[in-house]
Amino acid sequence: MKKTMKFGAIALVSAVTVSLMVAAPAKALNCAKPKATVTMLGTIKPEIQDQFLGAVADYNKSQTCFVVKSVPGDRKLTFLQNVTPMYAAKNAPTIMYTLQEIPDMADKVMDLKSTKLARLVSKDLLAAANIGGKQVGVPSTAEAFGLLYNKTVLDKAGVDPKKILTRSDLEAAFKKVEASGAGAVRFSSIWWSLGAHFSNMYFSTASKTKAGRLAILDGMADGKKDLASDPVFKDYLATFELLKKYNQAKPNTTDTEYDLSVADLASGKAGFWFMGNWAEPNLLTASPKTSFGIMPLPMSNTASAYGNGSIPVGIPGYFMIDETQSTSWERKGAIDFLTWLYTSPAGQKRVAGPVSSGGMNFIPVYKGFTIQPETFMAKEISTYVTSAKTLDWMNTFYPAGGQDLYGASGQKLMADKITGAQYAAELEKAWKGSVKTWRGEKK
Amino acid sequence: MNTGYKVRKFGIFAALPLAIFSVVLVLPFAQGFFLTFTNWNGFKYTEFSGVANYTKSFKDPAFWTTLSFTLKFVVVSLVAVNVVAFGLALLVTAKLRSSTILRTFFFVPNLIGGVVLGVIWQFIFNTALISISQRYSLPFFSDSWLNETTTAFWALIIVTVWQSSGYMMIIYITGLISIEQDVLEAARVDGASAFRTLMTIKIPLMAQAFTISLFLTLRNGFMAYDVNVALTGGGPYRTTELISMHIFQDAFAFGNFGTGQSKAVIMFLMVATAALVQVSISKRMEVQR
Repeated sequence: MKKTMKFGAIALVSAVTVSLMVAAPAKALNCAKPKATVTMLGTIKPEIQDQFLGAVADYNKSQTCFVVKSVPGDRKLTFLQNVTPMYAAKNAPTIMYTLQEIPDMADKVMDLKSTKLARLVSKDLLAAANIGGKQVGVPSTAEAFGLLYNKTVLDKAGVDPKKILTRSDLEAAFKKVEASGAGAVRFSSIWWSLGAHFSNMYFSTASKTKAGRLAILDGMADGKKDLASDPVFKDYLATFELLKKYNQAKPNTTDTEYDLSVADLASGKAGFWFMGNWAEPNLLTASPKTSFGIMPLPMSNTASAYGNGSIPVGIPGYFMIDETQSTSWERKGAIDFLTWLYTSPAGQKRVAGPVSSGGMNFIPVYKGFTIQPETFMAKEISTYVTSAKTLDWMNTFYPAGGQDLYGASGQKLMADKITGAQYAAELEKAWKGSVKTWRGEKK
Repeated sequence: MNTGYKVRKFGIFAALPLAIFSVVLVLPFAQGFFLTFTNWNGFKYTEFSGVANYTKSFKDPAFWTTLSFTLKFVVVSLVAVNVVAFGLALLVTAKLRSSTILRTFFFVPNLIGGVVLGVIWQFIFNTALISISQRYSLPFFSDSWLNETTTAFWALIIVTVWQSSGYMMIIYITGLISIEQDVLEAARVDGASAFRTLMTIKIPLMAQAFTISLFLTLRNGFMAYDVNVALTGGGPYRTTELISMHIFQDAFAFGNFGTGQSKAVIMFLMVATAALVQVSISKRMEVQR
């Protein structure tokens, strides 16, 4: 999900070229009406901007009814910062893409329940964008996070990631990697990594059932949950301390940390890195011949503890279609574009194909995909998904802006500015009074 | 002059600017002020909420911490910018051969936009200085200044001084060259030292320049945003957020549009009060010539 969690799908895009009007046989759509321009804010993620714009150009060439146009958002701004002025100016984009702001948008976007796309994806993956029975969004891809590793470093140190089942196994592996001459682990002091992803390691393992996990969020919002007395939270803190102890670099809270971490894992200066599969293209660009894998972050010392052998897999964002400022013909175009992107052979090639040949390297979430990503890490994720060793992304339910606060607290803990107990107290304080959007509550 | 003429003259000279001023400033301000009394969510409002947004703003501890951080920033940047700017003005008005080049040199940073400036300095603090310190083993810069609250604060000050002192220097230069030569000559004939001349002749006679510069730096300090966002981004641990950034975050990142907007109104009142007090005090120090 990457930095984009906050910056959403908004990318600074240069003006998009208007499509070439190559006559193509009209498909099932009856194109009686004049051509409509369908706008989309951003390009899903800035990292795959060129590939996405390539897909848009392909789509525009493939039919004669609609022109899809990506309108640039400001990448430094959040989704709401970009979208509110557009709504105020009666110039709302037709297609929008975001995650945590979905509840804020629910009353402005259309119900996608009866679309082909919604039928092609499992109910679980639609859940986060189902607000009070209204299907306000459809997913883009699945992403996973956990401990990324450099296979070359681990092979040299004699570490088999499949055999790391507990926290003490992990420490032993760290020691072996250090003994082999590399740094053990990169634990990046990046606010969105600590605030959204690392914190999720607690919330997604705090209970075995979904109901139980949501109840924990209720407790946090009500100010009743006592983190310090929760054994899972104790394990979570112990894992935090373990990664901190073996962190190969000094905590760096500045904007350089992501790139420096990529460089260190890619060059083998570190064996592991707590991050997600969105970093794989960056790693492969830095070191094309190395294999980079992903493994669970074991938090408990009991191998069978819930979540110890699983990785959090989730949807980084959902597409929504505006209903208040667009015409029905524009909405039709928006649905047609998204359907083309995920169901047509040309669209699927753009979605799941390798980055080097114009694809976005996305892990498909829709049924009927004929193309699958081929990279080492993507294949590993598929194994976890097919063997049902996945954890929820509870961070999908975090209140807007919450991850900023949990991330800042995580950075403080990493820099020894606060203790574990203070960290727990800060999390409790930041959560208290949050609107329970996971229960359908409105702000 | 008859009334018709006056109205026509007003129409010709003031109507257009006044209309623009109203449309881009007065109306949005009034609208924003109005919205603080509603439950506005950034898109629409459904009910009036009285002063709830203001009470919530005052109860927000983050508002007070950012406010005290901002005050510290305003005071330090106000002093630093003006001392440096006045020093530079004295330097370039001294009879130096290079004074024209120096003037341009000192003014140029002001022509660079805040965000670009922030990015440039971010590179300097995060990368350039660290490489230099590794090469020549200077412990002072071994870690990025943006990594610690205290040093990040000074980084903000350095960049602000670097950006604004050139502009303030121009104002001080105007003040310095407006002093009549005969007064200075009389002082010289009376045997006044350079320091004495500066303290008792130059500074009192150019008090106006101080009024303007102090007002501008005070206002800029309270309203600093772009350098803050681009340089520290509020980090580390959200401890270097200035009030403008805090308001922006509150509204747009956390979606609290009501409190964000009311904090903006509170900030406006504070800046207006501070500026009025400062200008009235400075005005009293100005000498009639």
